[in-house]
Amino acid sequence: MSADIRLMMPMTPPVEIDDRQLVQTIREGDAEAFETLVRRKTTKVYALCYRIIGNAEDAKDISQLVFIKLWENLEKYDPQYTFDTWLYRMVTNVAIDFMRNKQSRDNAVNSNLRLVRTSAEAEQGVIVQRKEVESVFENVSAVLSPKQKTIFVMNQMEDLPSAEIAKILGCRESTVRNHLFNARKLMQQQLQQRYPEYAQLWRER
Amino acid sequence: MMSCDLFRSSFSAGTEDAALLAHLRTCDRCLDFAARIDADILFRALGGEEMVPPGGVDAFVDDVMRQVRVRGAENTVAMPPHVPVWRRFAVAATVAIALAGTTFVVRNDRAAAPGSIAHYTPRPVSAALIEKPIVESYEGDAAMIVEVPSEQNNVKIVMIFDESLPADL
Repeated sequence: MSADIRLMMPMTPPVEIDDRQLVQTIREGDAEAFETLVRRKTTKVYALCYRIIGNAEDAKDISQLVFIKLWENLEKYDPQYTFDTWLYRMVTNVAIDFMRNKQSRDNAVNSNLRLVRTSAEAEQGVIVQRKEVESVFENVSAVLSPKQKTIFVMNQMEDLPSAEIAKILGCRESTVRNHLFNARKLMQQQLQQRYPEYAQLWRER
Repeated sequence: MMSCDLFRSSFSAGTEDAALLAHLRTCDRCLDFAARIDADILFRALGGEEMVPPGGVDAFVDDVMRQVRVRGAENTVAMPPHVPVWRRFAVAATVAIALAGTTFVVRNDRAAAPGSIAHYTPRPVSAALIEKPIVESYEGDAAMIVEVPSEQNNVKIVMIFDESLPADL
């Protein structure tokens, strides 16, 4: 009888507890809940790190560092904010620190390296492809400051509105918009110098 | 999934439409089309999707959890054993009392001793102040050494009057 009742009951999908509840469970000492949280956020955190840093191995190391810092600072999380805002703040802090150190190292070594296309290549025009855009972005975004690049990535690639970015970075929305404006301007200048075929896209408008 | 035709008919410069952006990020032909209408859309093509770290999510999570455990173990070793709060107060109070007591004793010593010692000026030992006969005496600029016989007359007592020596010698 009871088996029949069980068969007749509709199957309910397992309810996934939200991030805040998960954090509460971790705070109560459940290490498995932390593993669940890491698993849930890995692809998001790694994607943001990769887009800011531009290198798979570094992005992986930085992502791991973010989760370790998360574990060490979980007590400081204030549930009145969304967990992702807090997590993104941690990601951006760690990634910006890494970029600053990396930039100072790279500037010493690669200050004269530049990829410039010939005007003949430029005249042939370009068929815009995602793979190609990825490497173009890596090269032209090298002129941005770590903060400019982080804001650009969050707004243009993660589709976060400037108000949310301001919350993540703990600054004013106008500051975010300023950084975005400057980042776009610098990248367009870089495109004109190094990828004239892409810069044509702006001129054609 | 949106078709290319629908994308091209719906796309406009500065769009924030999630469905349009999702299509843009997966279709190179539409990206090329969109970039010629809105060049600012170029780098938006790179975003959107979540990414798997090298080695896969499982290996990544295992690495993180291993490091968390290692750090946890390091912290446990580094941390002193848990001491109850009342015991900490008791230890702190004992130390404070000991310090206060030591300070009090040192101050009293200083108050009593220096007056007589600091202002002490050696003067020649007169025969009237010394009951026992002086066996021998040596006198320098700052010190005077006097030898007197003991009760049994077999051991000599040496008295040194030296201003430069510490008071508690």
